Amino acid sequence: MGWKMWALKKSPWVFHVNTGACNNCDIEILELLTPRFDVERFGIRLVGTPRHADALVVTGVVTRQAAPRLKEVYRQTPKPCVVFAIGACACSMGIFKEGYHVAGPVDKVIREEDPNAIILYIPGCPPKPEAMILGVVKALSLL
Amino acid sequence: MGLYILAFLIFPGFLFSTAVGLLSSWVDRKVSARVQWRVGPPVGQPLFDVLKLLGKETIVPENANRAVFLAAPLAGFAAAMIVSTILWLANLFAVSFVGDLIVVVYLLVIPSLSVMIGGFASGNPLATTGANREMKLILAYELPFIVCLAAVIVKSDLGIQLTAIAARPAVLSISGLLGFLVCLLCVQAKLGYPPFDVAEAETEIMGGVYIEYSGVPLAVFKLMQAIMLATLPVFLATVFLGGLHFNGWGILWSILKYLLVIVLVILIKNTNPRLRIDQALRFFWRYLTPVGILAVVLAIAGRAWGITWL
Amino acid sequence: MIDMLAELRTSHGSRILGAEHGSPRQTFVTVSDSDAPTIARHISEKMGGRLVTITGLDTPDGIELLYHFAFDANHSLLTLKTRVKKPDPRILSLAPHLPGAEWIEREIHDLLGVVFEGHPRLERLILADDWPAGVHPLRKDEQQ
Repeated sequence: MGWKMWALKKSPWVFHVNTGACNNCDIEILELLTPRFDVERFGIRLVGTPRHADALVVTGVVTRQAAPRLKEVYRQTPKPCVVFAIGACACSMGIFKEGYHVAGPVDKVIREEDPNAIILYIPGCPPKPEAMILGVVKALSLL
Repeated sequence: MGLYILAFLIFPGFLFSTAVGLLSSWVDRKVSARVQWRVGPPVGQPLFDVLKLLGKETIVPENANRAVFLAAPLAGFAAAMIVSTILWLANLFAVSFVGDLIVVVYLLVIPSLSVMIGGFASGNPLATTGANREMKLILAYELPFIVCLAAVIVKSDLGIQLTAIAARPAVLSISGLLGFLVCLLCVQAKLGYPPFDVAEAETEIMGGVYIEYSGVPLAVFKLMQAIMLATLPVFLATVFLGGLHFNGWGILWSILKYLLVIVLVILIKNTNPRLRIDQALRFFWRYLTPVGILAVVLAIAGRAWGITWL
Repeated sequence: MIDMLAELRTSHGSRILGAEHGSPRQTFVTVSDSDAPTIARHISEKMGGRLVTITGLDTPDGIELLYHFAFDANHSLLTLKTRVKKPDPRILSLAPHLPGAEWIEREIHDLLGVVFEGHPRLERLILADDWPAGVHPLRKDEQQ
């Protein structure tokens, strides 16, 4: 398992999932993937399908409607994989804590599917691209 | 016999072609990054990508044809390895046989075919769309490709042996130059690079033909792509630019020829948007094929009247 | 702004239960729930008002519905206020005449439970598929 994780840290391919966000975090993620911030030097690449992904970048509080779909996307991602919860809503529901439409923060929903999932948190509303890079690099070095 | 197996597996077969291929893939990504004013990935990045993919689990979708799904990458990879071995042996050790040009052209179709078959066997409508487009693309670029090779064959006194063709660089004549340019664009399509990457259009059809592949089969596909990136410029250099010779100053010339083709491919890749499949078909059949036919006519005329620069 | 109110008074004066100005450019006109759809149609078709949206609010006296109309020529807003009694709040739908009101009324139906009679397709719009029927989240007496 050691060399798989090492290879995953060297080349994390990213798939973006929006589970009911206000799109602010999604815009910041879009900016992160532009040539200005150059995440390719870390090996990060945006892929179009969860089957190619190592890291699920999840934004937004998970709404009731989106919860089974998020779990399905997590199942379709080949293991080993990690989950990045981006933004205050994904980390801890944020201002939607008392909302009637939420199923929970990202880690609660993913842990229902897989109790041993590796979940990494990058808070912010929305986190700046520099903050996201710092978070991703720090988190990957902890694995 | 044992020597050939060694050549196939280590040098210049599997290990050597893979190493050159991954290095060329890095050159491609680094130059593309520089064109976009970025820094780009470190040298080992393509190798890390492949190692990571080898460590992931393989998911085979339920309504996919399991045998074909898993066999397609292996078929393409094997064909790419054989082509690479033949080409490098012909260039380095002048090991060649009559008709090996035809064998190479046939084998060069198999990687694209395997991608297409893998897409059709995936059981996913997006993969089928991508495979559909790949099929049409193969039909599109094979025609001018073969026509220009006919021009080269005419120029080398109707010889179809690689060493014979490599002895006379075809690009020193007008028909050879036209042929080289047409074949360069066909190679762009064969590699699946923009402007002809309609089969693996990431933003449109989420990965196209490769959408259901994960883990080891995807790693094999990536290796196949890397070997093709190493092999096709060698093919162009052999057929048009006079081959790669590794004696004395020849080493520098060979590396320059190889880099020339690769840099041309990368620059075309970075400066062009994606063509739709009907635009690509129209481009290859309506515009490039007549140029190829013109090249053949010029070559025949040059040979008939003894003019070498036609 | 005064023109709109005056015109309404001349056409439907008897049905206006109250009028007040929220600001120089906004007027609130209170009507009964049986008159509201006809007056709304009048504003939209005869007076040239553009339906902006319909908002709803749960009050102890019933569910208050506000129909907001914009008069772009003089940059003003006319709001029709009406109250629908609970339990079983029902009101005539604007959707057959104003296609833009179709989804707005579906959303109010989902969240507040108002039934719009004559609506071509009063189905669930924004609540989750597995949300229990009959539970309307924006009502004040709903538990979380």
